[in-house]
Amino acid sequence: MSTTKKKKVRSQSRARKVSLGATYTVLIVLGIIWLVPLIWIVLSAFRCEYHEDGTFIGTVSSNFFPRQIGFKNFKDLFTESYYGVPYAFPKWMLNTLIIAVIDCVISTFLVLSVAYCMSKLKFKLRKTFMNVTMILGLFPGFMSMIAIYFLLKSIGLTGNPQHPEYSVIGLVLAYSAGAGLGFQIAKGFFDVIPNALVESAKLDGCTNFKIFRRIILPLAKPIIIYQALMSFTGPWMDFIFAKVIIGADNARYWTVSVGLYSMLFGTHPDTNLFTQFAAGCVIVAIPIVTLFMFLQQYYVEGVTAGAVKG
Amino acid sequence: MKRLLAILLASVMVMSLLAGCGGNPSSGGQTEAAKTEENKTEPGQTEAANTEAAAQESTEAAKPAPSADDDGLIRVWVGEESTEFYQKACDTYLADHPDFGYQIEVKGMDTGSVAQTITNDPTAAADIYTVAHDNIGKLAATNCAKPITDEALVAQVTADNPESFQNVINSTLKDKVYLYGVPYISQALFLYYNKSLVTEEQAKTFEGLQEAAKAAGTKAITVTGDDGFNMSFALLARKVSDKSTTVKIYEGAESVSGGSKGVSNCQGDDTVAIVRWLQEYAADPNGFKWASSDGWEADLNKENKGALAVIGGAWHYNSAKAALGETNLGITLIPTFKLTESSVEGLSSVKAGDEYRGGTFADCKCFMINATSAASKYKKEQELIMYLSSKEVQNQSYLEVMNVPAYVGAADYIKSCYDEGKVSESEYMLAASQVSMAEWGIPQPFITGTLNTYYYSKNAPAVFRAMIDKTAYPTTGDKILEETESLESIRKGLYLIEYLWMHGQAPSEFPGTLPSEA
Amino acid sequence: MASKKKAAPKDKANRVSVFERIGKAFSDFGKRFVDGSLGTKLSHFIFGAGNIYHKQYIKGLLFFLLQAGILVLMIACPTINGTPYGWKALRNLSLSQEKGYVSEGGDFDPETGDFTVGSDCKLIILFGFVTIAMIIIYFLIWNMNIKSSVKADNDKKIGKKPATFREDLAELLDGKFHVLMLTPTCIAAAVFTILPTVFMIALAFTSYNSQDMNDLGTNLFRWNGLQNFRAVFTGEGSLGFEIKNRFLPVLGWTFIWAILATFTCYFGGIILALLINKKGLRGKKIFRTVFIFTIAVPQFISLLAVRNLLGEYGPFNQMLKNMGVITESVGFLGLRPGDSEILAKVMVIIVNMWVGIPYTMLMTSGILMNIPTDLYEAARVDGASTVKMFFKITLPYVIFITTPYLISSFVGNINSFNTIFLLTGGGPTYTGYQAGGTDLLVTWLYKVTIDQGSYNTGAVIGIFTFIITATITLVTYRRSKAYNEEDTFQ
Repeated sequence: MSTTKKKKVRSQSRARKVSLGATYTVLIVLGIIWLVPLIWIVLSAFRCEYHEDGTFIGTVSSNFFPRQIGFKNFKDLFTESYYGVPYAFPKWMLNTLIIAVIDCVISTFLVLSVAYCMSKLKFKLRKTFMNVTMILGLFPGFMSMIAIYFLLKSIGLTGNPQHPEYSVIGLVLAYSAGAGLGFQIAKGFFDVIPNALVESAKLDGCTNFKIFRRIILPLAKPIIIYQALMSFTGPWMDFIFAKVIIGADNARYWTVSVGLYSMLFGTHPDTNLFTQFAAGCVIVAIPIVTLFMFLQQYYVEGVTAGAVKG
Repeated sequence: MKRLLAILLASVMVMSLLAGCGGNPSSGGQTEAAKTEENKTEPGQTEAANTEAAAQESTEAAKPAPSADDDGLIRVWVGEESTEFYQKACDTYLADHPDFGYQIEVKGMDTGSVAQTITNDPTAAADIYTVAHDNIGKLAATNCAKPITDEALVAQVTADNPESFQNVINSTLKDKVYLYGVPYISQALFLYYNKSLVTEEQAKTFEGLQEAAKAAGTKAITVTGDDGFNMSFALLARKVSDKSTTVKIYEGAESVSGGSKGVSNCQGDDTVAIVRWLQEYAADPNGFKWASSDGWEADLNKENKGALAVIGGAWHYNSAKAALGETNLGITLIPTFKLTESSVEGLSSVKAGDEYRGGTFADCKCFMINATSAASKYKKEQELIMYLSSKEVQNQSYLEVMNVPAYVGAADYIKSCYDEGKVSESEYMLAASQVSMAEWGIPQPFITGTLNTYYYSKNAPAVFRAMIDKTAYPTTGDKILEETESLESIRKGLYLIEYLWMHGQAPSEFPGTLPSEA
Repeated sequence: MASKKKAAPKDKANRVSVFERIGKAFSDFGKRFVDGSLGTKLSHFIFGAGNIYHKQYIKGLLFFLLQAGILVLMIACPTINGTPYGWKALRNLSLSQEKGYVSEGGDFDPETGDFTVGSDCKLIILFGFVTIAMIIIYFLIWNMNIKSSVKADNDKKIGKKPATFREDLAELLDGKFHVLMLTPTCIAAAVFTILPTVFMIALAFTSYNSQDMNDLGTNLFRWNGLQNFRAVFTGEGSLGFEIKNRFLPVLGWTFIWAILATFTCYFGGIILALLINKKGLRGKKIFRTVFIFTIAVPQFISLLAVRNLLGEYGPFNQMLKNMGVITESVGFLGLRPGDSEILAKVMVIIVNMWVGIPYTMLMTSGILMNIPTDLYEAARVDGASTVKMFFKITLPYVIFITTPYLISSFVGNINSFNTIFLLTGGGPTYTGYQAGGTDLLVTWLYKVTIDQGSYNTGAVIGIFTFIITATITLVTYRRSKAYNEEDTFQ
């Protein structure tokens, strides 16, 4: 009796070991598949191969691992001129950083304020507002690009030959203006905060503003960080809208994604720049990935809130 | 309840609108005054500019829209690759002409998309911009460009440029013909090849390239893209013995939109035979291939075993040099080819063994003046263009940024540069090949008053590619070309291309009989 | 504050109820005018008069300034980029060339260099709409100012002092806190979302097509009614045959794509989450981090990396060649015309899984851990297999909770621009058509508008896309638990 039981336990534990082993194998294989393209971009960034006569080879290459590695691609990014703009890449990075920071502040504020209203305040047009927001979100975004361009232009914030730098303000406006309409995830988060908290504060004579500032905001740290992270990373990824608003001739004021995209896909593309493009990607990805990794826990909370509340 | 919301909404809108008027360039008189002062403008001129701007402000839309005001700055758009050169040239000019009265700012633009950028919003475009000549019609017709009337400049253009260019840089405005573009770079296709794998002799013929490709285990030749310009190498191929072709693109044609066809023709037996020959050549494992989606530069990378040669232009020089390596970079004319037995089958006026050379469009890039540029700048803009398109600056731009000059007799200068050791052999070959190729080509079709339907495709290049790939080509709902291999459907395809050129759209049906002779 | 009874059904758009409220205001007009104090009577003509009458000076002044501002704009018609606002903008909206509201331009004086560039029709339409918006706002303010005065009247009648400006401001932080909080977003949405959307819809009824306009050598376009919509069925016009022949295939593929992309990522994510959260598995955190990596890297970087990895000269083709599986490079992503369409479609779905699975994995991880363990124990006692438990317990639970996410991700996939645009560019292309084999409605829209400049055709496609997504969302979302019980959280 006892031996069979032991056997059963043993066979069970063996089965578990086998299934664990299988899980490890699957996960490791999947992990490799998931990382290969990213590793390849990093390897391409360090690729430093030359023709016999010393000409640098910058195109896509069919060998996964570079023959020689070096920092030339990175060095070139910071010293060469692109689109007739000397030191263009550092400038693009700086522009994007400025745009991202301002956009981050404005967007996060707008999202929080709308989400709070939708979740914790009662007023007449609440449901209408939510429905309209949903409908507006269904229109394909870049159809409105041309209208936004000319609206911004009519107040001198883009396509302004005297002040090309104003386009950056226009772009920030265009990015953050719509942010408030993306309140759903933050609302989902606020919905979970018990109403009793709000009501007891009201009984104590707190104004809605005080409740928002003293009670809701301190509790909302995860969603604030989530929203800030999302709106901060947005400008680093957009390569279409930014080029239209800032202008094809204002290469100096481009964002980094417009610049990198143009390096590969101009009308007369110069794919010799592929390795430099890869280096640029690595430089852009490093801060964003680092941020993500540090703020992972908040990101997960935001994503989960979004899942439940759509 | 929504009162305050609406108040805020309205006040912000009102404020932004007011700010808009304030921010509008046409009313910022003060800042401009400051700026123009900085730019050492004579006081009188500034005043004139400001009063003019003020006068223009009161005009309404029903009346002609005002052009922008004068901001003391002339902005110039050139090809991205030569931005620095032209900024330097402009700075030199300003230094020599302290009384010019304007600052000059040069910016680089992507040559391929610049015309579209201008038409999307001409008021945001530069005062002087540069485009390939085939855009002139479109830009002039949509009031994006201003005619050039300065007598000295017109005289310079007439004196310097070959007749072929002079025919394609004019356009009509209110029934009057004006000069619109000032050529400063000539552009034509030629061949870049890998010297380490192809001998000079092999590079002279398509068959030779094929032989080298067989040895290297690659394709022989590729192109840099599949638009109308690139495809001219096949469509405009000319017989070597007399440089003739039956293709006529724009002679006699007056209006595309009107559908008056003129005598355009591209269905001659020679063209049919060339299409068939290219079909065969493309099907060969060591023949022709289209540019890779990874970029034609990747095709040329030796390790990728893509292609040995590419048909490109001078603006591809740096890319080709980087892709092949400087010592491997060979430059020559587009090769010749001999018609095969199978390609002339059933055709009467061509025979196997006839030798043809790949053709090209021989284009020019031009300076143009933005229609929305302030009228007060007009005179100075033309002065500046006169300088920038002068032989001296053209020559200098060849030496520094490999722009091949457009003027008549540039070949002599190019030769002398080589003889004096000012340029390397490949730099010399680049210009020399292009100049020789120009003799084998014609400027892109450009019909007064309308756009060029060839480059802007209307699908004509797509039909051509479909024929080379031997795939079906669907048009107007009914599949007109189910296949593109038989003699009859090649004729149909060429008819379709011709029709697209002339009418800008596909025909509803094909005529019962297609002309079999030119 | 406005009408007490709900005039418009709940689900109608804001704009409709705004109009209806204006109508209501007109019907109340006489009554209010007769019953009101002198101030109320005056404020029908001069904004803020009622407030000033009741000594609410700042409020009254604000109302008056707004009225003056809008009236000045309407009458003075400031001109920006050659196009006026105000009443002239309304008149010009007809785009009538005969009446001289729009002009071709082209008058040129060779001596001075004066050149008239003609009217810009798109700006005329845009500014016309801005003006209409201003008129609507004008009447809203008008109504509000009367109501404000009536309220002050009533306060006085019952012996209350009309609210001071300071009190109004204080109310903003409490009872009307939502007004304060929503105003910035409302303004931004009106200017940057609603106005552009209305503008886009309007373009569908014009002849704004750069190709046609270039052919005709004009920079003007006009209203042409439903002609563009008709072209979808008749195939007329410069892009007509494209729409007629490609609309249904693209629509079909958009649906297949949205369904497959949503569900592959969804189930893949759940399975991955289960694997990672397996009991006894060590290094959970490392595995999670590996997968989060793909989310963290900006999408345009990771997608372009994959595109080049799978490209003609990419390492993947090379690897297959070395293994002797293929001799010629395979066009996995349909970047060359003539590449296999099926393969390209399969590849984009696979690559999309690569992008999307980690996201669902993260999302469902938390949910999975919250599944009550007694459910599993009970099942285990009953001798249920792991697979059975997955289908009977795990999946229903997760689906139940994440339905709203599924819907929004389905709609998101219909409009999934980046994945298709960066990976295949819509290829393989079909000779003669803009829309390629993997083009979604939204990438097709991009090609038609941005590449081809056929804004009217693009707007038609955009409207169709909207109708489809809106129908799906409304039907499914309004039936879902999350929507109907949305209020219960309060």
